[in-house]
Amino acid sequence: MAQPQSILDVRNLKKYFPIRGGVFGRKVGEVKAVDNVSFSVNKGETLGIVGESGCGKSTTGRTILRLEEPTSGEVQFEGKNLVRLKGEEMRRMRRELQMVFQDPFASLNPRKTAGEIIEEPLQVHGIGSAKERKEQVKELLRVVGLDAFHAGRYPHQFSGGQRQRIGIARALAVKPKLIVADEPVSALDVSIQSQVLNLLEDLQEKFDLTYLFIAHDLSVVRHISDRVGVMYLGRMVELADRDGLYENPLHPYTQALLSAVPVPDPETKRERIILSGDVPSPSNPPKGCAFHTRCPHVMDVCREVRPEFKEHGDGHFAACHLLEK
Amino acid sequence: MTEPLLEISQFKLHFHTDKGVVKAVDGVDITVGEGEVVGLVGESGCGKSVTSLSVMGLVPQPPGKVAGGSIRLAGKDLTRLGRKEWRKVRGNEVSMIFQEPMTSLNPVFTIGNQMVEAIRQHRKLDKKEARRLAAETLREVGISREGILDEYPHQLSGGMRQRVMIAMAMVCRPKLLIADEPTTALDVTIQAQILDLMRRLNEETGTAILMITHDLGVVAEMCERVVVMYAGQVVEQADIQTLFRDPRHPYTQGLLKSIPKLDKRTDRLYSIPGNVPNPRSMPQGCRFAPRCEFAMDICREKEPGLFTLGENRVSRCWLEEEKKEDADRGTTTVHS
Repeated sequence: MAQPQSILDVRNLKKYFPIRGGVFGRKVGEVKAVDNVSFSVNKGETLGIVGESGCGKSTTGRTILRLEEPTSGEVQFEGKNLVRLKGEEMRRMRRELQMVFQDPFASLNPRKTAGEIIEEPLQVHGIGSAKERKEQVKELLRVVGLDAFHAGRYPHQFSGGQRQRIGIARALAVKPKLIVADEPVSALDVSIQSQVLNLLEDLQEKFDLTYLFIAHDLSVVRHISDRVGVMYLGRMVELADRDGLYENPLHPYTQALLSAVPVPDPETKRERIILSGDVPSPSNPPKGCAFHTRCPHVMDVCREVRPEFKEHGDGHFAACHLLEK
Repeated sequence: MTEPLLEISQFKLHFHTDKGVVKAVDGVDITVGEGEVVGLVGESGCGKSVTSLSVMGLVPQPPGKVAGGSIRLAGKDLTRLGRKEWRKVRGNEVSMIFQEPMTSLNPVFTIGNQMVEAIRQHRKLDKKEARRLAAETLREVGISREGILDEYPHQLSGGMRQRVMIAMAMVCRPKLLIADEPTTALDVTIQAQILDLMRRLNEETGTAILMITHDLGVVAEMCERVVVMYAGQVVEQADIQTLFRDPRHPYTQGLLKSIPKLDKRTDRLYSIPGNVPNPRSMPQGCRFAPRCEFAMDICREKEPGLFTLGENRVSRCWLEEEKKEDADRGTTTVHS
């Protein structure tokens, strides 16, 4: 097998949002939404990113596409540092990187027809003549499992699953190499969710796509991903290939997260780790390891020193002091 | 078998809209025994929330209209209650927690304020005593921090808010607690805390729970019995082990097959083709027939009734009629 070739390299990515207060709107603090995150995505694979709300997984996705400007760090896409690109260069670059959003109700313009929505990226990037574009829209609708006549309908006339298909067709229109999918199925019902997951897998094979798949549902992420990263409070705490992570989680947070998922099988009885307390505020993260306030195995060193995110054999990365021994 | 605490029988609730009648709940039978935890599962629009709101008397009428059937709670027919009588039942004998705890708490009053108000509606206590009871109930749901009674809802996290909601619902020791997607808005680790709490309260206080959810994982962990709804009707009912081991209705089978598993990975997920039917124009015959891979001619023509397949086990499917010919099983057609 050929050495996996990375298409996206994220190095020490940081995104801090300022908190402004006082009469003059001075900066009084910052929310460390993404705090020194590094990972790479190989060509043709699906990298899943899981974590609870507020862990920074969505901000990571948005910062990569520069929908949010990163505070610091590098995002190398096929050897080019996206962070350095100027306006027009970045705009052209977006042909290669597209996004599918969570809420199929909010991410489609209600005053445009499905056809217009899908055609817009083609117009923006000046692809084809008006007639060719119309043809392409029809083809895209077919590809995502809708019919050509749907082009004339408005978003409200579609169901949630169909709307998500339109969002996917829009992302596919410019033939991107990488798609960042931010919770693409979490607003959908179970039976519709599996339809959309299958569609995403088919499209990946057909168009040789690479996915960065962001979700909070661990079962969905296991199903679709080749490798999975776990985030907690703006930091990546563990990253491994799918089976390595689910069968042999190294970080106590991943272990707790996995054990907390309700399993749809009344006959399995599992040991459950119930974490006490809530996720701390990202504007004032704990010193040392961000997880130490809830960790069942906390040691003195965890309260002081931030553990390094490093490899513990065979592409299995984790940041935990327990593994140092 | 225990005497049912809640008995919904042949209940129908229709909405009269300008565009026609929406039969949101169309002949539903559900029973909940004392102290029992029953799951009500289905996708959006299947009528599970409207059913539960009807038990609380919270469906505005009009546009809603009870078109038949009854809801009996401890022998009392709730569909016939007047406004004043409802006030005695609601919160006292049956209470409810909702999906989004932020929208169910009043943002401009403190937690203490809201709880005292609820307590004094039902009990003859002065403010001081009510406050003490509120603090005590909050401790039971795992909030022991000082000063919680003087905090506002926005100062609490999602999990804490849901705990407050549970405390408010439990303060009068209702016989039945309806939980409408109580953990859907919460993160997994917080969900585990809340489910654990609900299980403990059920064991300690004997309050029965009707758990409405779309998450089959939550059902498997919490419930003793499950009712599956589709397009306004009950399509299958069974105890928890049986339903997961041997689902009979093709919809239940499809639902179980289409969820990705955490412990083993399949290459391709099963998916039920098509969409949930429009409630204004239900398909003729079986409502699931257009999406069913086993659909026969009869399914498209005649609506199946509920076939009884043993104690507490029903399925609304013509396939059972076929199977019946082999085995000698008593069938009752409750609704045709």
